[in-house]
Amino acid sequence: MMCECAEKISLLVDGELSANEAKEVERHLLSCAECQQARAHFLNVRSELSAFRSTAPQVALRNELAKILAAGSLQSPFAPGRKSFAWRLGPVAAFATLIIASAVIALIFVRSSNKQPAVVSQVAAKPSPQPVATGPEPNASPAPEESPKKDGQKDQSREPKNATSPSRRPTPLPTPRPGEQFALNSEPVRSADAQTMTVTHFEKSEILLRSFRNVRIESGSVAEVKYEKKRAQQLVYQNMILRREADASGDIQSSTLLESLEPILLDIANLPEKPTESDVQVIKDRVERKNIVPLLQVNSAALARALD
Amino acid sequence: MASQDDEFTKLFQDFYPGLCRFLECLLGGRAELAQDLAQESFLQLHRTAWGTLPVGEARFWLYRVARNLAINEFRKSNTRYRLFDRVVEVMSPTARNPEQEYETQERKELVLQMLRSLPEDQRVALLLREQQQLSYREIGAVLNISESKVKVDIFRARTALRERWTQRAKTVGATAKL
Repeated sequence: MMCECAEKISLLVDGELSANEAKEVERHLLSCAECQQARAHFLNVRSELSAFRSTAPQVALRNELAKILAAGSLQSPFAPGRKSFAWRLGPVAAFATLIIASAVIALIFVRSSNKQPAVVSQVAAKPSPQPVATGPEPNASPAPEESPKKDGQKDQSREPKNATSPSRRPTPLPTPRPGEQFALNSEPVRSADAQTMTVTHFEKSEILLRSFRNVRIESGSVAEVKYEKKRAQQLVYQNMILRREADASGDIQSSTLLESLEPILLDIANLPEKPTESDVQVIKDRVERKNIVPLLQVNSAALARALD
Repeated sequence: MASQDDEFTKLFQDFYPGLCRFLECLLGGRAELAQDLAQESFLQLHRTAWGTLPVGEARFWLYRVARNLAINEFRKSNTRYRLFDRVVEVMSPTARNPEQEYETQERKELVLQMLRSLPEDQRVALLLREQQQLSYREIGAVLNISESKVKVDIFRARTALRERWTQRAKTVGATAKL
């Protein structure tokens, strides 16, 4: 069952709540385990999607740009309404592709019919081609309710084959470990010292950002932010170390928060000696938008409780 | 002209990799197609809107066009891509470090599999939020929908992913006990 505040948690992690609403949700978070779990999960999703790296080769980037710039009014190879893969290559290439494709398909069928386990495990471990076709069409995409069941069935059907076959791969199952909720959602292995330092760091950063938020500037005058600058310079270095440590130990939650915090600390540390109102306001807006203060408060409280 | 090209080059360098990543996730892992569509988006920008569009708007314009191109691809028959992917898959050489390669691939597949299970509008909104850090207002502007729809789509996407991961964890746990 999901707490009715779950939608607000989604808004909180996106920094889309007003200051008052955010405070209200933070208070609720402290006492609601369901919402704490939801927030952790939402942050894990963010972490996974941010960590996703494109497999498209980037080396050709400059060439592609040159093509685009040179294309001008010429017919582009990527022009809208481009033809199918085979036709673009020309008839000879299309024919060659068909021959190769037929040969490979024949090979797969022959090997499958001979029940050679190595091929079975290799194909099973690769992405199934059917879901690739998923899209907005309701017919093509699997029904949301059915997906987990289908996944489960696939996993179950794969496991015995892999378990009994001499798989070429060292890790036989393309599935997370038992009890794993979201790939990186395993228990973080961090020393108590590191966690204590992280708690202290979160608390210090929270105080700094609150102080920075309260900096008042008369229009036309310069802001007095010497204390905040100095404090941010001290905290940036520690932030980097703690972030690397959290990354290394798999503590995604702390790592994500430290990653969000770092540019803000850097911006404050690099403020000019006499910043203008707009210099300060830009950073204040970012702090508000990222909702970083409440997140620091909630995380330091949660970590401190875990340490107790 | 030269300075316009310089600006375009900078825009390309800043946003091309991110656009490829966005499209790859949106298209369920078809990296080559993602790259094609990203290039096509930039080409359309260069041909039609560059020079008339405020520079700050170019990013949103690109994502809007890229998303529309991706939707067109969804609507086409995908048989040839399936076949082509299968051929590439079978013909590709074995990874140099199979264990590491396998784990990385496994993680990516897991993410893509979960994303594929989401309806397209939820998937796009979530990707624009999590990978491009666009605000709800900006996402609304890219997708031409209201902020409240963006809010609902993102929340539903997150809730659906959460349910699937929980379900998956239970299934895997049950399988392991057998």
